[in-house]
Amino acid sequence: MIKILIVDDEKPICDLIDLNLSAAGYSCAAVQDGLEAINLIEKETFDLILLDIMLPGASGYDIMEYIRPLSVPVIFITAKHEVRDRVKGLKLGADDYLVKPFDVVELTARVEAVLRRYNKANQILTAGDVSVDLEARRVTKAGRPVALTNKEFGLLVLFMQNKNIALFRETLYEKVWEEEYFGDSRTLDLHVQRLRKKLGWERKLAAVYKVGYRLEEPK
Amino acid sequence: MKFSLKLLLCTMMVLATALGFSGYYFVNYVFETSIAREAQQALDDDSILRFAFETAALNVPAKYDMLQDQTVEQIASNLETGGQNTRRMLRLCDEQKNVLYMSDGFVADDGLLVQTDESTRTWQVVRLDNRFYIRTGSTVNALNRVLYLETMRNVSEVFEERELGFKVYRRVTILMLFLGALIMHFISSWLTRPIRQLTKATKHMAAGEYDYRARKVSNDELGQLTKDFNRMAEALENNMNELEAQIQDREDFVAAFAHELKTPLTSIIGYADMLRSRKLDEEKSFLSANYIYTEGKRLEAMSLRLLEIIVTKRQKIEMQLISTDSLFDYLQNMFAGEREMDFCFSREKAKVWAEPNLIKTVLVNLVDNACKASEAGGKIEVCGSCTENGYRFDVRDYGIGIDNKELKNITKAFYMVDKSRSRSKNGAGLGLALCVEILYLHKSRLKIASEPGKGSRFSFVLPMEIKQQENAADGTAQETKAGGLI
Repeated sequence: MIKILIVDDEKPICDLIDLNLSAAGYSCAAVQDGLEAINLIEKETFDLILLDIMLPGASGYDIMEYIRPLSVPVIFITAKHEVRDRVKGLKLGADDYLVKPFDVVELTARVEAVLRRYNKANQILTAGDVSVDLEARRVTKAGRPVALTNKEFGLLVLFMQNKNIALFRETLYEKVWEEEYFGDSRTLDLHVQRLRKKLGWERKLAAVYKVGYRLEEPK
Repeated sequence: MKFSLKLLLCTMMVLATALGFSGYYFVNYVFETSIAREAQQALDDDSILRFAFETAALNVPAKYDMLQDQTVEQIASNLETGGQNTRRMLRLCDEQKNVLYMSDGFVADDGLLVQTDESTRTWQVVRLDNRFYIRTGSTVNALNRVLYLETMRNVSEVFEERELGFKVYRRVTILMLFLGALIMHFISSWLTRPIRQLTKATKHMAAGEYDYRARKVSNDELGQLTKDFNRMAEALENNMNELEAQIQDREDFVAAFAHELKTPLTSIIGYADMLRSRKLDEEKSFLSANYIYTEGKRLEAMSLRLLEIIVTKRQKIEMQLISTDSLFDYLQNMFAGEREMDFCFSREKAKVWAEPNLIKTVLVNLVDNACKASEAGGKIEVCGSCTENGYRFDVRDYGIGIDNKELKNITKAFYMVDKSRSRSKNGAGLGLALCVEILYLHKSRLKIASEPGKGSRFSFVLPMEIKQQENAADGTAQETKAGGLI
């Protein structure tokens, strides 16, 4: 299981990230103090560290110095949004930079992306008898390949990464089509319809009234 | 053209003119004197010759009652050669100014002859083939005849001396001018040194090097100018630094504000998003809702505080006389419910000039801070005492204290020494900023003394009503205690 360390001086934010990443299937540890974080990093090995910059004890930049030789991927999560702050963070060796306030979906997507870059992410997602090979872009249902269009594939990956989470229409549209959603487009619904049909997921891919869709997976 | 060059050229011009005139005058004066002396000499010679001639004429045999022309010639010839060392040059003419005798090389010019008559002797300087002579003219009376005697005396030497004088003087002048130019060059560049220093300083400052100062190199007006310039630069630099510090403060404030705003917003948005998009179990739902509530509260507290500061800044306060009793009673009531702390209020009776609500805010904030800094059961002292400068309020705690280098930052908005600790006690980092703002309106300052681990003391002084001072002396300090742990 992939272990993620969350370092943020705000308990609520730690908990928020913890809850979401745990739901996405990661194992999380959270600390609120810079020195504690360093202690923990020395004691245990993590696959990814989410790091705030303004921390009591030692700042995120200081902690970064400790992490660099360990070559553990780092995502900065901070309220500092100025370009020079971001550049400083990235120059120090961070893999990504997330500015508060952030969307939970974006957080999981970025965590996923960074882990994938380090070949640590699950390359194969499964839900029921459907499995998706992210690298080969191959989808199989009960061992038989299913042909999907580009957009359908994107939608499927998004649903499988966020199981049991209601994904809003605008989120889905913005992530897959990478365009702004104006609320009147039927394109998304058509694609979801076709995806349901191809995978036989009429029940599993449930519509959430006034929100969007949710992939339901019994735990 | 450079100022030093101008100065040099002007001086050189004056020097050249002065040297030229004085040299000319001096050489000429010497020449004039010499020529006058030579003329006198020539006239003396002339007199001697005349006398000699007349004497010779007397010796002519008496058979002639008239001086014969041949005799004149004879005598003249004798006179001509009769000089001690040199041949005299002379000419003799008769009454009709016809030449009777003339030495070799005598200039044939009748100009002088015309002017000469029996009563006057004349002389003039004549030039002949680059040689100068003094010619004299006079009349000789001998044997009933009036003859005109003219002599010539070589004075080329005097003229040569003058030429030499001029030549030497020219050389001296040129040498002097050269030396003068050299010396003046140093002098003028020495004199204009302050100007160059100032120019350099101006250039440096124009290039953005605002801490550059001109070196003061003289004590004259230019030195004064340098001093004034430096003072001006100092004032400008201070002003600029102040402005920069203000801008920096504002930027820090905005950055801190954005940070403080974003942190609760992240939680609120995140948890709300979780609640709306996921089926959460009851425990997690409650946790999320609770976080949204507390973070929302935090935002509310912060915005109210911020509003307070902004309003206070804009406010014009009306000072009034209030008794310290009312302030202390208010504080005691306010913190009566706080049973975890050991409060100790001590006061002297007095009346102070203040805006009651604002001062209450300051006191409540300070006491609140003291509570936050202390462990449960910690002692907190609030004292009011009359001093020379006014009524002094002291809030003392025995809690964690503040590090020395943090002291100057703690009154900045959003600054929290220990963020997680202050956060856990629901602080926004705005209390002291508000206190400073209010005290500023009262023309007072917040004084902070602190030692890590031993506690802190916050104090400020308010103006007192004057007559209360005597009462305070005999009034016994009242001491009351509040709080649960007595």
